[in-house]
Amino acid sequence: MLAYIARRVLATIPVMLIVAFFVFSLLYLAPGDPAAVIAGDQATPQDVERIRASLGLDRPFVVRFTEWLWRIVQGDLGVSIFTNLPVSHMIAQRIEPTTSLMLITIVLAICIAVPMGVVAAWKAGSWIDRAVMAFAVFGFSVPVFVTGYVLAYIFALQLDWLPVQGYTPLSEGFWPFLENLILPAIALGSIYIALIARITRATMLEVLAQDYIRTAKAKGLGSRGILFLHALKNAAVPISTVIGIGIALLIGGAVVTESVFAIPGLGRLTVDAILRRDYPVIQGVVLLFSFVYVLVNLAIDLLYTVFDPRIRY
Amino acid sequence: MTETVLNKTQTAASKAGHTGPLLQVEDLRTHFRTIDGTVRAVDGVSFHIAGGETLAVVGESGCGKSVTSMSILRLIQEPPGKITGRILFQGTNLLDLSEKEMRAIRGNAISMIFQEPMTSLNPVLTVGRQIGETLRLHQGMDEKQAEARAVEMLDLVHIPEAKRRVREYPHQLSGGMRQRVMIAMALACNPQLLIADEPTTALDVTIQAQILDLMRELKSRLGSAILLVTHDLGVVAEMAERIVVMYAGRKVEEATARDLFARPRHPYTQGLLGAVPRLGSSLEAKGRSRLSEIPGIVPNLKKPIIGCAFAGRCPAVTDICRSVAPAVETKAPGHFAACHHAPREAVAA
Amino acid sequence: MSPDTAVAAAPAAVDVFPAEVQRGRVRTFIRRHPTIALGGFLLILMVVLAVFAPFLGTSDPQALAPARRVRPPSDVHWFGTDMLGRDVYSRVIYGARVSLIVGLSVAILASAAGLFIGLVSGFIRVVDGVIMRIMDGLMSIPSILLAIALMALTRGSVQNVIIAITVAEIPRVSRLVRGVVLSLREQPYVEAAIAAGTTTPRIIWRHILPNTLAPLTVQATYIAASAMITEAILSFIGAGTPPIIPSWGNVMAEGRALWQVAPYIVFFPAVFLSITVLAVNLLGDGLRDALDPRLAKRI
Repeated sequence: MLAYIARRVLATIPVMLIVAFFVFSLLYLAPGDPAAVIAGDQATPQDVERIRASLGLDRPFVVRFTEWLWRIVQGDLGVSIFTNLPVSHMIAQRIEPTTSLMLITIVLAICIAVPMGVVAAWKAGSWIDRAVMAFAVFGFSVPVFVTGYVLAYIFALQLDWLPVQGYTPLSEGFWPFLENLILPAIALGSIYIALIARITRATMLEVLAQDYIRTAKAKGLGSRGILFLHALKNAAVPISTVIGIGIALLIGGAVVTESVFAIPGLGRLTVDAILRRDYPVIQGVVLLFSFVYVLVNLAIDLLYTVFDPRIRY
Repeated sequence: MTETVLNKTQTAASKAGHTGPLLQVEDLRTHFRTIDGTVRAVDGVSFHIAGGETLAVVGESGCGKSVTSMSILRLIQEPPGKITGRILFQGTNLLDLSEKEMRAIRGNAISMIFQEPMTSLNPVLTVGRQIGETLRLHQGMDEKQAEARAVEMLDLVHIPEAKRRVREYPHQLSGGMRQRVMIAMALACNPQLLIADEPTTALDVTIQAQILDLMRELKSRLGSAILLVTHDLGVVAEMAERIVVMYAGRKVEEATARDLFARPRHPYTQGLLGAVPRLGSSLEAKGRSRLSEIPGIVPNLKKPIIGCAFAGRCPAVTDICRSVAPAVETKAPGHFAACHHAPREAVAA
Repeated sequence: MSPDTAVAAAPAAVDVFPAEVQRGRVRTFIRRHPTIALGGFLLILMVVLAVFAPFLGTSDPQALAPARRVRPPSDVHWFGTDMLGRDVYSRVIYGARVSLIVGLSVAILASAAGLFIGLVSGFIRVVDGVIMRIMDGLMSIPSILLAIALMALTRGSVQNVIIAITVAEIPRVSRLVRGVVLSLREQPYVEAAIAAGTTTPRIIWRHILPNTLAPLTVQATYIAASAMITEAILSFIGAGTPPIIPSWGNVMAEGRALWQVAPYIVFFPAVFLSITVLAVNLLGDGLRDALDPRLAKRI
């Protein structure tokens, strides 16, 4: 058990290193002179030089990468070209709305998607099943900003039930906080819900055909006990895997959702940084999100042992 | 045995002092609707089991014996399946019960063990939890009581170190141990009827013998009736008091174990017995060193069978067999067979 | 019907029935594969719109007309006009071109690159570990963020958008192909072929490629769908094609500031994008069910 945990934790270190390497070397893989691209079309040669120096583009690659990595480990993500503020500082200011949005979305999505998939599998072939599957295809196909605008138009502009845009920190009260995040969470979550519902249904279909489900029926268990204890616990590993992988979709979607709903989070920071070609900020955000993604998936790997006693070594 | 002390979920009929057989199956038909036709998996089977009795249902795979046993507990998916006829358990027709009433019987008054001990236990729940679940469900025990009783049950089925084993998961147990757990689970609520569907088929020969010994021992101790479904005539010979032989979804012969082995009436049963190596006799006996096989194949159950189902493979077939289905007739006292040509002893038929 | 009459009637039947048989076949196909039929139909519709864009009552999608800014839909401007007075209908119809080109190009490029990497990884064990660690690393960067990071370093153009999305999609294809290669290598007939001294290219051609084709086609379809969404997202947040190019993401980005007063600017490209992606996804689901029943059962 401990060996398993240690091995999983150790295995993430090379992955994180490779991620860091990629994020760092993108600057050099891009065609043309990155300093010129970042400086923009109206830059003077001095501007380009200044950017080149500030990015350290004038020194050997390996030296720069090691230095950069050492600073990252210490929590220093560099300095914004545009604001001259430390990137870590800028990220810290924007992290709360994004974290809140993602957490609410994840909780909401799991609470909706898992029962949906379970019921669809239980009633396989029925109209409920068909409706869930149809919803899943739509969830995959309608981009997050489309869902976002449609929801905002109906529930905020037309019905006036919820605010159109904006963000209220949790410190100013739970309801105002939640009110602002409901629509973004649904918009962001739709593809995630589709993904989880689909894998839940597929896995449950497989599990429900197993012999031990027949045993559970022969013991006199009702459908609730069979579905939510005997079957779902067996289906938990694939489902949680997909929940972890799907977070990549949420991270990408959050950038867009924050734009649509004017939420001042990391997504907005990214979009602003793109418009200003503020590469250190983009680099920092990408690195942060990737590390979070890797760590979440590590946590889920470790969670497997709770669901399935056979996974130990 | 029928009138033993019953637990609180006993059926209304038994409370009223039911005196017939424990289980009476009448004209059971289980059909499945598939894309290319209706499969008549069980087609008009009748038999009964007295309290404390062991009845074996034998036949080749696909003859409908497993479907019969699943039909009794109504574990057949409906649709595509459809069960008709009457299944009287202590006088109550199980086919008339609601799903909820049926659930109160499953695992309680009637329980079942299956062929595959490797896959019939839930891999992610502890053994104790799986045994205790039945007790909590049917006897209203709390978690503590259920676990204590689960330990007792493991002791009963001779699993060593029951206290430790109760917290283990199925993958930590051997195949024989798992089947013992299945038996413990099935017997936890003291059922009046235990349905055992090929309980030893998936096990090693030595383990098979141990499991059969265990079942016999527990039966004499707890007094449950057993419906044993198997294709293994060796198991039948060791366990059963009476035997029902099935072929192509129909009952072709029924007799006491002694009668059936001594004087099989139906050509199919004769073929089956010919196909069994007899311990001590088969190898040295002159001219019978080989298993005899029954030539031909089982008829397609998707089409209604005209005449005798066995006609296509029967050595004694005549014209009447191909046109008229033989009724199950009394061939001797307590010995029934469905064959136009089976000899009948001089009794008042 | 006796064999004789069948032979006698055959020549006449061949002449009379082809049309009937044809329709019957189409109908059978629709009944058997409703998702392929619906997805294919919608996709063909979009392709027709894209190809014949100039002949569908459109005007120059880039023509500015400051005098006619933000007009609601009317007889002249079916989908209204945007902030710069450009005709939204024309931009949306021409936008189908960008979306479809990006989807198709990314699907082809990512499949080709992923196939190559997957084959190398599956056959050359020395590099397998390294390649797969690299792919793990790439997959750990959420694909939209990877594309954003790449786009931030290059000038916005359709070509660069295609490259950026392709890079983000390659790891998944490589893993898929590698998985197929590894499982096939264990198959007795492939082991036998290797033992018999069959050359690697021949094994790839005879055994690996035919078996990779079905899952790869399905995967390519899903990649096309996600590439179209990613392209729209990139353009929407300003990291995609230059704003002047009529892509659906750009049209929506232009309508973003005005969406409360002029929701139609966002609405029409959104609908077209959703329908196109839906069509491709339906096609993918249908192909998966038709080509790979085992996969269909799992996902």
